[in-house]
Amino acid sequence: MFDCNCGCISGPSALRKVGVCFYFVTDKRFYRERRSFLCIDGSRMIPFEQVNDDYCDCEDGSDEPGTSACPRGRFYCTNLGFRPHYIPSSRVNDGICDCCDASDEYNSHAHCQNTCWNLGQRERAYVEGQMRTLDEGLRLKQQLIEEGVLLWREKQAQLRELQQVAEDLQVKLEEHRRRKHEADRLKEQTLKALEAGNGGKGHALFSLSHLKPFAHFTKLLQFVDIGNCWCYRTTFISFQLELALLDRGHRMDLTKFQRTLWDVLTRGDTVKVRFHLCFCFLFVIFKKPKKLAIDYGTDWEFLFLNGQCYKLKVYEYTYTLCPFNQVTQRSTAGAEVSLGMWGMWTGKPKNHYSHMVYENGEPCWQGGSRSTTVTLTCGTETALRSVKEPSKCQYIMDFQTPVACQPVLKQQGIHSEL
Amino acid sequence: MAPLLALWLAVCLSGTWAVDRGNFKTCEQSAFCKRQRALKPGESPYRALLETMELTNTRLTLQLINDNNKVRLLLELYRLQGNITRVKINELKPLKPRYEVPDVLIREPTTEPLSVLSQDENGVVLSLGVESQRVIISARPFRLDIMEGSDVLMSLNSRGLLAFEHLRMRKDTFSYKVTSTVASVWDNIKRATKEEEEKVEEGMWEETFKSHTDSKPNGPSAISLDFSLPGVEHVYGIPEHADTLRLKTTDNGDPYRLYNLDVFQYELYNPMALYGAVPVMLAHNAQRTTGIFWFNAAETWVDISSNTAGKTVFGKMLDYVQGSSETPQTDVRWISESGIIDVFIMLGPTPKDVFSQYASLTGTQSFPPLASLGYHQCRWNYNDQEDVKSVDAGFDEHDIPYDFIWLDIEHTDGKRYFTWDPHKFANPKEMLQGLMDKKRKMVAIVDPHIKVDSNYKIHNEIRSRGFYVKNKDGGDYEGWCWPGSAGYPDFTRADMRAWWASMFAYDQYEGAMENMYTWNDMNEPSVFNGPEVTMHKDAVHGAWEHRDIHNLYGFYVQMATAEGLIQRSGGVERPFVLTRAFFAGSQRLGAVWTGDNAAEWDHLKVSIPMCLSLGLVGISFCGADIGGFFKSPSTELLVRWYQAGAYQPFFRAHAHLDTPRREPWLFGPENTALIREAVRQRYTLLPYWYQLFYRAYLTGEPVMRHGLKWLSVPLMVNFPSGRDLLVHPVTEEGARGVTAYLPGKDEVWFDVHTFQKHNGAQNLYIPVTMSSIPVFQRGGSIIPRKLRVRRSSTCMEHDPYTLYVALNLQRTAEGELYIDDGHTFNYEKKEFIYRRLSFANNALSSVNLASDAQFTTESWIERIIMLGASKPSKVTLRTADGQESQLEFDFDASMSVLTVRKPGMNAGADWTVTFQ
Repeated sequence: MFDCNCGCISGPSALRKVGVCFYFVTDKRFYRERRSFLCIDGSRMIPFEQVNDDYCDCEDGSDEPGTSACPRGRFYCTNLGFRPHYIPSSRVNDGICDCCDASDEYNSHAHCQNTCWNLGQRERAYVEGQMRTLDEGLRLKQQLIEEGVLLWREKQAQLRELQQVAEDLQVKLEEHRRRKHEADRLKEQTLKALEAGNGGKGHALFSLSHLKPFAHFTKLLQFVDIGNCWCYRTTFISFQLELALLDRGHRMDLTKFQRTLWDVLTRGDTVKVRFHLCFCFLFVIFKKPKKLAIDYGTDWEFLFLNGQCYKLKVYEYTYTLCPFNQVTQRSTAGAEVSLGMWGMWTGKPKNHYSHMVYENGEPCWQGGSRSTTVTLTCGTETALRSVKEPSKCQYIMDFQTPVACQPVLKQQGIHSEL
Repeated sequence: MAPLLALWLAVCLSGTWAVDRGNFKTCEQSAFCKRQRALKPGESPYRALLETMELTNTRLTLQLINDNNKVRLLLELYRLQGNITRVKINELKPLKPRYEVPDVLIREPTTEPLSVLSQDENGVVLSLGVESQRVIISARPFRLDIMEGSDVLMSLNSRGLLAFEHLRMRKDTFSYKVTSTVASVWDNIKRATKEEEEKVEEGMWEETFKSHTDSKPNGPSAISLDFSLPGVEHVYGIPEHADTLRLKTTDNGDPYRLYNLDVFQYELYNPMALYGAVPVMLAHNAQRTTGIFWFNAAETWVDISSNTAGKTVFGKMLDYVQGSSETPQTDVRWISESGIIDVFIMLGPTPKDVFSQYASLTGTQSFPPLASLGYHQCRWNYNDQEDVKSVDAGFDEHDIPYDFIWLDIEHTDGKRYFTWDPHKFANPKEMLQGLMDKKRKMVAIVDPHIKVDSNYKIHNEIRSRGFYVKNKDGGDYEGWCWPGSAGYPDFTRADMRAWWASMFAYDQYEGAMENMYTWNDMNEPSVFNGPEVTMHKDAVHGAWEHRDIHNLYGFYVQMATAEGLIQRSGGVERPFVLTRAFFAGSQRLGAVWTGDNAAEWDHLKVSIPMCLSLGLVGISFCGADIGGFFKSPSTELLVRWYQAGAYQPFFRAHAHLDTPRREPWLFGPENTALIREAVRQRYTLLPYWYQLFYRAYLTGEPVMRHGLKWLSVPLMVNFPSGRDLLVHPVTEEGARGVTAYLPGKDEVWFDVHTFQKHNGAQNLYIPVTMSSIPVFQRGGSIIPRKLRVRRSSTCMEHDPYTLYVALNLQRTAEGELYIDDGHTFNYEKKEFIYRRLSFANNALSSVNLASDAQFTTESWIERIIMLGASKPSKVTLRTADGQESQLEFDFDASMSVLTVRKPGMNAGADWTVTFQ
């Protein structure tokens, strides 16, 4: 008989002959040889000879642990030397080797070899490798977390500075607004008074000369007004433009945009320029905290990925993943296509940082836009491992990095059956 | 690729999800249809010249004359074996031969004697031999009436719409000028009198549709004939149209069109042409079923009118009450662009007779490999070998059986068929071996358009052998299709087909293995930049124009491909080839599907009448893309489609490249379970499907049918698979219940899931949930199943059977069991088991239906489930050697279900089980 954690019970002669083990040790108590057998779900009592007689009597399939007779049944592969597991009863004697110990094909035309030992060897080697990777990965992760914290502090300091500048500017802006409003009021009052006094004739001449002392101030306010408007517009436009450019996969650098703006502005009046700049600066500052608002992990361990890009060539395409920024695809022909902009973490609550999504890439011609789901897996290096497009415009990436290594994996590994 | 993309964009960005109708002709835009349809009834210029009548034993010939232009026609009339009458009309002396369809009839039909009963100057009466059937030929105007007793079964040219555009000289050509100068003065005078008829109408010698000009070198050549069907209210058939089973009258719109076209996003419930054409129409009433087979492969339009159309049910009742003398009548008119009039009139009288009559002409359904009746997983596209492997593993992981995984065009090296993408499918044999290890199979697409590329072996060979279809100027015809510029092999040539078949040999088709089969798509043929997305009609196939053969092209492609699959195995293995385009006779070659449908509830609904229509004209192996090809189905629609598809003959899920993935396990565990259950139901019934297909192969009867009272049942979605199972799939969104009509006054029906018994001849309301697939087994039937559903049908080969015996009111039941090896042609060598199972006088027995056949099986009878049974005191098995044994059984009194436990006899043996 086999030396295994299970017992072999009565059944059709074919089964007895080969001495197959039908059930896991924990199930053994159900199959103690008696006069009758109670289906495990308690639904029915049958004579014990009908256990494993290749006819399904129990609704739950429990009377046929060793044959294919029950649609809901399962067969226990002992797989000595490897991992034991259950297979659906429908895979017993179907001519396909499922259990590595060949026990599922005891009465079929298939010639199955016992491969459990080899599989076990391979599995053990693999698991050992995984463990090493995990150890190394966790060590690297700790480093990165430390670096991340430093980086975070630095950025926070920067942010505070910027916010201070922004606040100052905000105050100034409010002051200008207030003064403009005052001027407007004054202007209107003056014009009303003029209209009341003069029937409109010679209005232009009079008003001009009358307002002369105010001219400089009015002009200034006009610029404020224009500047304000401009800035809101540029804020709006730049936002739109940025999105539009991103959509086409030709993301324009914000600094480049500002430089262009600078060129435009320096050609104008200095006052005008000043206001433009102040407002545009405001815009940039207001945008900045958003970047730092990204969730870089509980220990800021993912912060180091910010600003990095990882490439992988798959067939005729080169894919680039810039974490927390964007994903692109470049064909050998040269056209670059956006596969999505940073969206969010989408891992399940238990493992929140296991998946990230990049959305709103280049539109697809049947509607929707390209998006990419990145799965983070534990590894000693940070690299893009695979890219697939299972459905049109929906990409999935396997991204390996030490920071994805989880101590919990280690525990699972230790408690593995092997 | 760029122009192709542009074309796609142009089509797709047009805004709506419907066909761009402007791409396809209406009758008005098709010059010959417009000309013919303008003819008025009752003015037939044709007269039979009775003095020219010649009658041999089996063939009658007679000349007809058109009194307007004096052109003479030759009428041939044959009586064919099995109650079929054939009428052929051609020009007596055509300028050049007119096309007659070859290769579709399985053999020259056997003729039977004809005799003249009486004759005078007004007409001739012929006897059709049996059953007091006569044909009356009236002389002026010419008319044919087929009578049985005093009833007219069918009249030809009774409305005087016979038209035959004779071939004529082009007036601006040199030859015409010569003829006209030497013609005598008298001739000219004579011509002048008939000239009015011959006036040149627009579109006779050249026709332009959109940017495409048809040069029409042979000028007008259309033919037309009308048929009157007294006593007939409804006609059926002439697929392929996305329409109801019962054909509609066409008085207020376009005729039904038969012209194989690649219609992008087709619309439902209209007479527009689709991918295939079978010019066969069935007329049916309570007394008689007849059929018309219009044997012509050119563009064809069919007009239908009925004197009862438009009458309400109340109006009809009024007629009945008042004893209205008007009998219902349907008038049909066929119009074709070229060729000859060649009509087979199948005189029934039962539907079964019409099926066998039609089968005697064009053959029966090919007997498919058993595995092809399983579930097929397809998608445009499975991206690479790894993808195939993971989808395959997904089925195992979720314990869903499947037999075939499919590869669409992207698997090739740049749309060069017979090749593999060198990166994504670098090692196809490894992939195929992986599938074979799990007893599964693959289908890879081979389309008939061949990339014009001098580095492509297939192209070079076809070009150097001169096998391409030619354009009107004699060069190789080129059109745009998936690969860009493509040539189209001339499949009408037998030598071309033989060469094509040889390309499937394992040493030619690199990477192919015996578990890889073929799919022919785009074989209408689809030409992206051609008129109506197909080939120019003036393209040349040897002596013929594309105009003449158009509807045959797809038929020939499938024929050559199926032949290739047969030859590669040395004639041993049955082929499996799926085609999109088809013609009469395509049933002999494999399976068809309803083309590029959409993920909409109406598309699910229409798949039923579409496949039923195909079944009526012999093509049983039909299915629709599960889930819908275009667009993405809601989860509910997808599940419902699986449930309906599981009970349709060809069971394949397919999806467009642009749709999200929809493998069965992607919609949550609950829906995975629902889909698994639908697929498993299909697999348990595979023995029954296989036997139905064997019967279809033997008899030509459709596998999927419409009610026991057959077509007279007015319901649309109610379809039985075969005659013993009635299926009413849920095809309404959010359905809480369905009302199924259970036919038969003296019938009983058993719900196959609950075993609940229902009486026939009633509309039964069935409450449904998402897991419901209302299916009923007819009392009086025995259905064999295999309940051990495994990974693939092949894994179930040796499994035991459970017999479901449903008793009728007479407490009898009958069924059949067919078993063979499932994949070879050895059944032709009588290597099979074919048994009749019958229950009568409280005994169930299995007797051999084919005593000269030999086959052994390991399968045994595992269980007998008897529905509507009473409790026996004992159950005894008697085997062939006379041995008797008692069997254990279990009786459920609440449902009257008797289960006999493990009788254990071999499925191929004689046995009797008695119930006392």
